[in-house]
Amino acid sequence: MIILIDMRFVHNISLMDWFYRTEPSEAQEPNELPVVTDTPLTVREISGIIESLLDDRQLQDIRVQGEVTNYKYHSRGHRYFSLSEKGGGSTAAVIKCVMWRSDADRLSFAPEDGMEVVVTGSVRVYPPQGSYQLQVKTMTRGGAGEKYLLIERWKKELAAEGCFAAERKRPLPSFPLRVGVVTSETGAVIHDIRTVIAHRYPVEIVISPTAVQGEKAHGEIARAIARVAGQVDVVIVARGGGSFEDLFPFNHPDVVRAIAACPVPVVSAIGHEVDVTLADLAADMRAPTPSAAAELVVPDRKDLRLVLRDLRCRLGASLLTRISRAQNEIADLRDRLRPQRFCRKIGEKRQAVADLSDRLERSFVTRIERDRLLLAEMKTALDGRSPRAVLARGYCVAEKDGIVVKSVDALREDDRLNLRFYDGRSRVVVERVDHDGNL
Amino acid sequence: MWWSVWIMTETYEEKIEQLRLIIAKIEDGGTSLDESMKLYEQGAALVRQCETLLASAEEKITTLSRDA
Repeated sequence: MIILIDMRFVHNISLMDWFYRTEPSEAQEPNELPVVTDTPLTVREISGIIESLLDDRQLQDIRVQGEVTNYKYHSRGHRYFSLSEKGGGSTAAVIKCVMWRSDADRLSFAPEDGMEVVVTGSVRVYPPQGSYQLQVKTMTRGGAGEKYLLIERWKKELAAEGCFAAERKRPLPSFPLRVGVVTSETGAVIHDIRTVIAHRYPVEIVISPTAVQGEKAHGEIARAIARVAGQVDVVIVARGGGSFEDLFPFNHPDVVRAIAACPVPVVSAIGHEVDVTLADLAADMRAPTPSAAAELVVPDRKDLRLVLRDLRCRLGASLLTRISRAQNEIADLRDRLRPQRFCRKIGEKRQAVADLSDRLERSFVTRIERDRLLLAEMKTALDGRSPRAVLARGYCVAEKDGIVVKSVDALREDDRLNLRFYDGRSRVVVERVDHDGNL
Repeated sequence: MWWSVWIMTETYEEKIEQLRLIIAKIEDGGTSLDESMKLYEQGAALVRQCETLLASAEEKITTLSRDA
């Protein structure tokens, strides 16, 4: 980019001073003034001009009073912050400040946002950023920052009203259909929210545009919240990162009360995570960034699909399990109906019969054995009485015609008799018959 | 127009809940096979409806007027 400078503005003594003082070697001919040429100035040249303009005694080695805001302790030990001054309830003027490490090391206290301080230093241009800043040499404490005191006072009042009460916090709807977004209609915030919602679960986004910084922003924000509240299921109140002054409207009671009065849950995402505004405290949920707020308000379609897929699998599996159980039941019933059981029972009975029959047989055998013994005994006894034994003692038996002769009456003379001895027999003839009675 | 979507999406959660109930019922030993089959049919229909709902969600942007 080429910057053309209207040469009319260059008729200035201090510029001339600068020109001759700082760049005499580069001026080819000191007598040839640049005013008469048409050559455009370079950015460096104009930056140099501005630097020389600021090199004014009024801006060098001065004492400045103000409130510390956006205080940052750089890792290299330098401190960056702003000094601000209020006027009519909002910020009237701000100047960026830097305190180099060598100076900051001599600080007697740890500066914080909101502190009222008095610093000494000089205003310098920082050409790489095209900005001017107060290079602070020393810093002393003034009173506590009025804005912080104001916020503290509001916080107490609003807490007493119940705006921050934990029991007031509502859960976010699981499936919102319309998401209200209260933010600037331009810029990264709405873009981030749209991107996240479109990516996760595209629903209708109702943008309620509002200024998000400035003196009257708080009223606008509060109205924007009220306007969208009745039309959506959940509201995101968001603002990108900014200075303490930038975020200040989100501490205003109008905004806090609008959030507390909102009929649907509110998610706040204001500034960076370290910046906590009263609006954040009043919101039902606080998100560290606008994108995170968007993630909080809508489910992720991918997750929903996973859950659904799981349920579908379980549904199928449950039916298969049920069917398999039914099959088992049938198999069990079939088993119970089969004749094997009866066969087994019959087998058992048969066995019992066989056992009994065995026992019976055994008992017979025993019995027969006993009888046999008895018989042997009897035989022995019988043998003692056998006619043979009598014959052995010297007797013999007479038989006539095969009949034992028991009486002499049965005999006649000349009868032929058989005499049986114990060891043989003989045939005899009766000579005479004598009767004992006749004797 | 968005009302119809509202009604459908409002019941997405209910559909999922119903689906879980159906699965639990089928898994429960007391449910008859016949009823389980009917429940399965219902469950399968719910899954299809939910899938349709997820697929049909569309982004829409409305910007309110500041003066309203």
